[in-house]
Amino acid sequence: MSDISLQPPPAPPPRRDAASGAPPRSPATAPAAEAVEDSGTQALSEALHSSFKIVKVIMLGLVVVFLFSGLFTVGQQERAIVLRFGVPVGGGDGKLLGPGLHWAFPPPVDEVVRIPVGQVQHVDSSIGWYATTPAAEAAGTELPPAESLHPVNDGYLLTGDENIIHAKATLRYRIAEPGLRYVLHFANASNVVQNAFNNALLYAAARYKVDEALTRDQAGFRETARLRLEQSASELDLGITEIQIDNMQLIPPRQLKDAFARVSEAEVVRSKELNEARSYENQTISKARAEAEARKNAGEAERTRLVEFVAAEVDRFTNNLPAYRSNRELFVEQRRAETLQVVYAAAQEKIVLFKGPGTTNHSLWLQINRDLPRLKEKEPDKPKDAH
Amino acid sequence: MKRNPITIAVGALLLTIFFLLLFLFQVRTTELAVVATFGRVTAHAGPGAHFRWPWPIQSVHKFDQRIHTFEGKLEQVLTSDANNLLIMVYVGWQINDPAVFLTRFNGSTNRAQDSLEGLIRNAYSGVVGKHPLTHFISTDEKQLKFVEIEQEMQARIQADCRALTNGLNIAFLGIKRLGLPESVTKLVFERMESEREVRVSEVKGDGERQASEIRSRADFASAKLLAEAEAEATKTQGEGEKIAAKSFEVFRQEPELAKLLLDLKALEQLLQERATLILHDDMAPLNILKSKEPAGPQK
Repeated sequence: MSDISLQPPPAPPPRRDAASGAPPRSPATAPAAEAVEDSGTQALSEALHSSFKIVKVIMLGLVVVFLFSGLFTVGQQERAIVLRFGVPVGGGDGKLLGPGLHWAFPPPVDEVVRIPVGQVQHVDSSIGWYATTPAAEAAGTELPPAESLHPVNDGYLLTGDENIIHAKATLRYRIAEPGLRYVLHFANASNVVQNAFNNALLYAAARYKVDEALTRDQAGFRETARLRLEQSASELDLGITEIQIDNMQLIPPRQLKDAFARVSEAEVVRSKELNEARSYENQTISKARAEAEARKNAGEAERTRLVEFVAAEVDRFTNNLPAYRSNRELFVEQRRAETLQVVYAAAQEKIVLFKGPGTTNHSLWLQINRDLPRLKEKEPDKPKDAH
Repeated sequence: MKRNPITIAVGALLLTIFFLLLFLFQVRTTELAVVATFGRVTAHAGPGAHFRWPWPIQSVHKFDQRIHTFEGKLEQVLTSDANNLLIMVYVGWQINDPAVFLTRFNGSTNRAQDSLEGLIRNAYSGVVGKHPLTHFISTDEKQLKFVEIEQEMQARIQADCRALTNGLNIAFLGIKRLGLPESVTKLVFERMESEREVRVSEVKGDGERQASEIRSRADFASAKLLAEAEAEATKTQGEGEKIAAKSFEVFRQEPELAKLLLDLKALEQLLQERATLILHDDMAPLNILKSKEPAGPQK
């Protein structure tokens, strides 16, 4: 460019200088000019040249600044597209630019639209909670509940069985790639998400019973709301993903706190009663099992004893049978004598009554005064008869 | 004279930029534009760069094409079963026809939303009034028409927009709030409170009933276990007796001997410990002392 601009001027020495690309140097040009022209013209020419070069440098600098101002970075959590004259560059919905350094024409030619796809967005529900003031919230206190709920100030949800509950929750979601619709098609996409979220809570409450929503099936309530929200998001083509409902609080109206507390108390009492009854059941049955087992074993033992006893008797009988058959009298005498021997030996006290030669009958009167082993009682006089 | 070519180049560039600014306008992808020539709409323009004659010949009006959310007011509506219901909806709307929008609302979003508010109010009375309360809230899925009502209202407002040709399109509609008049909430509280009382007694009664059921079930089960065990034990014992009875057959060969043996054993067992024997002098072997006729053993 500098070549072309400097071709027409007739003065050759400045051209050589400029063509060599060296910075303006007054001492270098001076000797060549001296020979041809007078000093006045030379000074003018010199001044013109140096100012022209300064302007050129400034202009070049401006061009560089202009071009560099088109550089932009896309963060790790972002994607971006470039709108050239308002239309996405790259055809269709535009080419999605990933993290890194990119270049676009500076405005008004290009506009960079950033899409925060990586960041988790969150919105709070705004319809289900009773009225509080920022001051009260900061202080951690609450306004005392009024007798009724003000329709505009106090938020609440109507349940399927026409009861009133309060609810609040936080919704977390991410903008799904490409996310263009989320950024460009809605004037306020997060507001749309919030409304859809409120609507989902309303929708879930409208089909839930108060007890289920508050206690038994909070997870189901949350899931119902989440599914509804997912459905509305896909109907609107919002392009959001990883929808998650957090910090859900479902409470009865404060006006009925005590009444609801009484029910929970009753439920606690009930479960305690049931637990007691169950442990009674366990104990009773295990005790009965043990007893039953013992009884069965006793029966078994009795059977064994009986069988063994009889077997032993039968043995004794068959062993003795030949001897008995060979001489009955002797056998009987022998056995009797043996037994008496054992009996006499075992008996602790022996009393022998002698009968005088004429008498046929006599009686004995005994006074027994012996401590019984267990009951330490004195037994009353007991007459004993001896034949 | 020396600077001519570069000056011409720069001048041409500046001139181009100036004319571009003067004759071109750009429409962002989120916008719609109309071009008016001497105040009359003569062309529509989509996103991109477009040519125009400079002011005062042509002027360009740009409109936001994005979907705006507008929330209606909380209104009290009578349902078909004469319940007072407070309802509030949100509507997503966008400009459908910028030329109509421009003439209708003079390009003002606020005026469009005012008009929408009227349409929403019509939809409240027209749609909500046709449904009973159970279509809004019900534990019975079949009765609930929550989504249908939303669709019905959207269709109605959309139809109204078409009929009015106001250049608006309704993208979505949802119920934002459902409520009851303030005085009714108090009644609901009273009803809820009495329901709670009923629930307390139900829970109590239920607990007691279940507990006693469990206890009696336990008692019954244990009695049954014991009875079964008793029966089994008796049966086992009976088996033993049966076996014993069979063995007794052997004793028939010599009943005398059997009796003798059993008697002797019984005697032995009877007099095993700490017994006191009172003996007659006629008994063997004491009779040996008398050397007279013998007698049977006596206790």
